[in-house]
Amino acid sequence: MNSRRADFDRFVADSTDTLLRAAYLIVWDLGEAEDLVQETLFEVARRWPRVRRMERPLGYARRILVNRALSGADRRARRRRELVVPMPPEPALSTGANDVFDGQDELMGALAALPPRQRAVLVLRYFLDLPEAEVAAALKCSLGTVKSTASRGLARLEQAMRETNDPRSIPT
Amino acid sequence: MTEQLESDLREALRARAAQVPAAAAARLSELDYRPRTRRVRPPVAIGAMASAAAAAGTLAMIISLGAGASSAFAGWTAKPTKAAPGQLAAASAACQRSQSSVAGLPLALADTRGPFTFAVYANRTSIASCMQGPSFVSLSESQSSSPVSVPADRVMLSSAHRSQRGGKAFGFAYGRTGAGVSAVALVLDDGTEVQATVDNGWFIGWWPSGAQLKAADLTTPTGSATQTFDLSSNAVIRSPQAPGGCNTNKDCPGGSASGSSAGAGSDTQGDMNTNGGGGSVGQLKGESLSSSQ
Repeated sequence: MNSRRADFDRFVADSTDTLLRAAYLIVWDLGEAEDLVQETLFEVARRWPRVRRMERPLGYARRILVNRALSGADRRARRRRELVVPMPPEPALSTGANDVFDGQDELMGALAALPPRQRAVLVLRYFLDLPEAEVAAALKCSLGTVKSTASRGLARLEQAMRETNDPRSIPT
Repeated sequence: MTEQLESDLREALRARAAQVPAAAAARLSELDYRPRTRRVRPPVAIGAMASAAAAAGTLAMIISLGAGASSAFAGWTAKPTKAAPGQLAAASAACQRSQSSVAGLPLALADTRGPFTFAVYANRTSIASCMQGPSFVSLSESQSSSPVSVPADRVMLSSAHRSQRGGKAFGFAYGRTGAGVSAVALVLDDGTEVQATVDNGWFIGWWPSGAQLKAADLTTPTGSATQTFDLSSNAVIRSPQAPGGCNTNKDCPGGSASGSSAGAGSDTQGDMNTNGGGGSVGQLKGESLSSSQ
């Protein structure tokens, strides 16, 4: 029992940072990312006796995280549109954590504009450096779908970068 | 081109990920994710059964938090907790950085529940509130206010509000206490009871759900009393316009609204009912008081 608990604590210590950064890149909001990671770890804890026997518990956690992020994307977008409050619950806080455009401005802007599923594939592939098979497992889809989704995502980024660098696109 | 793009993308993602504060992951790592086991002991007497029923609302909420239903507010407690060393100072600094109007107001009262701090700042003419959690600061606009006189053994709501943070609903209420009120328990429409922080002529309470404030159980020198509020979206609660003030946010683009406003048209709307314009408790429509000793 104590060993099982120690295993879980070690898993949390080892994986939280990676999960949080990946979640942040997928949902593009730190508060949402923290919520997702908490929900994911609660879920993993609930099934830990089974999860700890898996070859890659982190892969399982990643799958929960990505599925929750993608299943909640539409709901979150809708909620943001509908939110009507007399007092702003979340005025700007200058932590810098939510500032989107600095450094690789154009590329980040284009990435932020991608559909969540395409962004998730690119994050798993190019941030976590997962092989396509593991990306497919995380998204519960086929290898072919991963390849085509990544390809479409990259094409959109390329197109956005080309338009940004095209002098004809600069307003005069 | 593709190889260059892939390389740029890796670099950009790393740079973006580096914006995540290390403290955020550390905080998440420290939480207790293990499922709580609940052992329900059968009540041994009718009185015990009544107590169990009365406590059910609060218990249900605490358990749902533990299960991650409202994990944005993990660590919340139905009773105020003692502030951790430096917690109040950190919250105050975060609030003042985020809203200049807070910086000009003295602290009236701070409520701490686990890692969350809810503070109300007020002087004779303005009120502002600020809630600070492990990864966020949430502020209300300042409201105009004028000196109020709250009858003994009663409370006056300055604000009752529902909102959301990270997709998770929460509500809060704060206001002033009349002489003799030593404790305030906020009763929500789902049966949950939230013990408010009471001091300095103020009370504050908040809860991590979309439940609406229904009543306040007050402890007074003469016993206990229940003060009920009708804060349904149809209730129109108006307080007299403060001198130089206004009654809606629309009228007060500078954010000094008093009176009431309520969002409409979606299930995520917030309801705010304030009485910051100098009215007395008697002006809260639908309010009633019952006592027991």
